[in-house]
Amino acid sequence: MTRLEQIIAEFEGLDYQERLELLLDFSERLPELGEPYRAQRDAGLHRIPECMTPVFLWIDVIDDRVRIVADVAPEAPTVKGFVSILVEAWNGVVPAEVAASPPDILRLMGLAHKLGMTRLRGMNSIVQRIKREVSDRSGSAVPTN
Amino acid sequence: MSEYVRPEVLVSCEWVEQNRTRVDNVRIVESDEDLLLYESGHIPGAVKLDWVSDLQDAVVRDYVGREKFQQLLEERGISNDSTVVFYGDKNNWWACYAFWAFKLFGHKDCRVMNGGRKKWELEKRPMTREVPKYPRGSYRAEDPKIATPRIRAFRDETLAHCHAKKPLIDVRSPGEFSGELQHMPDYPQEGSLRTGHIPGAKSVPWAKACNEDGTFKSREELEKLYLGECGLKPSDDVIAYCRIGERSSLTWFALTYLLGFERVRNYDGSWTEWGNLVGVPIERTYLPKK
Repeated sequence: MTRLEQIIAEFEGLDYQERLELLLDFSERLPELGEPYRAQRDAGLHRIPECMTPVFLWIDVIDDRVRIVADVAPEAPTVKGFVSILVEAWNGVVPAEVAASPPDILRLMGLAHKLGMTRLRGMNSIVQRIKREVSDRSGSAVPTN
Repeated sequence: MSEYVRPEVLVSCEWVEQNRTRVDNVRIVESDEDLLLYESGHIPGAVKLDWVSDLQDAVVRDYVGREKFQQLLEERGISNDSTVVFYGDKNNWWACYAFWAFKLFGHKDCRVMNGGRKKWELEKRPMTREVPKYPRGSYRAEDPKIATPRIRAFRDETLAHCHAKKPLIDVRSPGEFSGELQHMPDYPQEGSLRTGHIPGAKSVPWAKACNEDGTFKSREELEKLYLGECGLKPSDDVIAYCRIGERSSLTWFALTYLLGFERVRNYDGSWTEWGNLVGVPIERTYLPKK
């Protein structure tokens, strides 16, 4: 079982209010941004344009391992919690694992219907962005789904 | 705030601080864009109302029905005579959306906390994670058909309004208004097959009505914006729209209550409906590079 599958299973076992609390826990676990990332963020670099919320991502593949550093404003705990899940699930895995991950993570976590289409669109685009960059940087034609 | 035409609808953070314990007749309601912000901390005594999971019907694209609305309010200890004070993130954008929905069901005493969450936090006022419990309210919602002609426009009315060349306000960003957005790589799919705006609409992005600290601009500044630059008159019949009718609720609020416009309707189908309709007129000012 991958870490992402474990997290999804953890959400599946909870009721709606508990799911929100777990997502809030994740949002608080996203590591503080260190240097030099902070300076880059403050200069407006690495912001992803797909999301209305300011989301900053540094995605790399080093020695065939995915590395993701992320920052999300505290006033957007929903997005921050979701990004924190992706960081925890995908940091250190091989690129193929990211490529093989499902695209509809929020639906599998049982949050899609409460989030609604507008919020989902922005958050799903973060998944697409990471998948695409991991694929680009891994130098191999890893299929994304 | 006394300068506004209907100043009673706006209250300050200070007012909320002093009146939030009057739980028998005052209910503070947080309504945010973010689903979790209330859980991360809120004004002590405030209840949560989510614009998607509470206010929107899960199946039909519409607001919840009368019975569901009554139930929502009763669960939060709100009765017909309650003073309901809305606040939220992003310049009270969603607080105004909830305010508008409450008016659709005829709630009498609705207010907005000027500055919303941002100002409350800037002033370092108390926050808690404790979720309050109130005795069940007793609520009888008005049939939304009564308020609809005054505050809500559907697509056919909007089309007639456009043909009659009556004032329309597009409150989306300049890129959405011009039709440029969908031509930019990596931008979110807006969920519409066509971009641009309703012919004749004037562009006044919603956030222009607000200051940096989330409060509304002064009456004089708002008049300069809507009456001066935009050429509207308070006696005009105005329709405001955005993407799904949320940002335009804030403009609706500013025009109706702060400037005293007689008839402003919110087209809540907005661009996600108009931009997908077959055969309706669209104007696009953006010219893609060949």
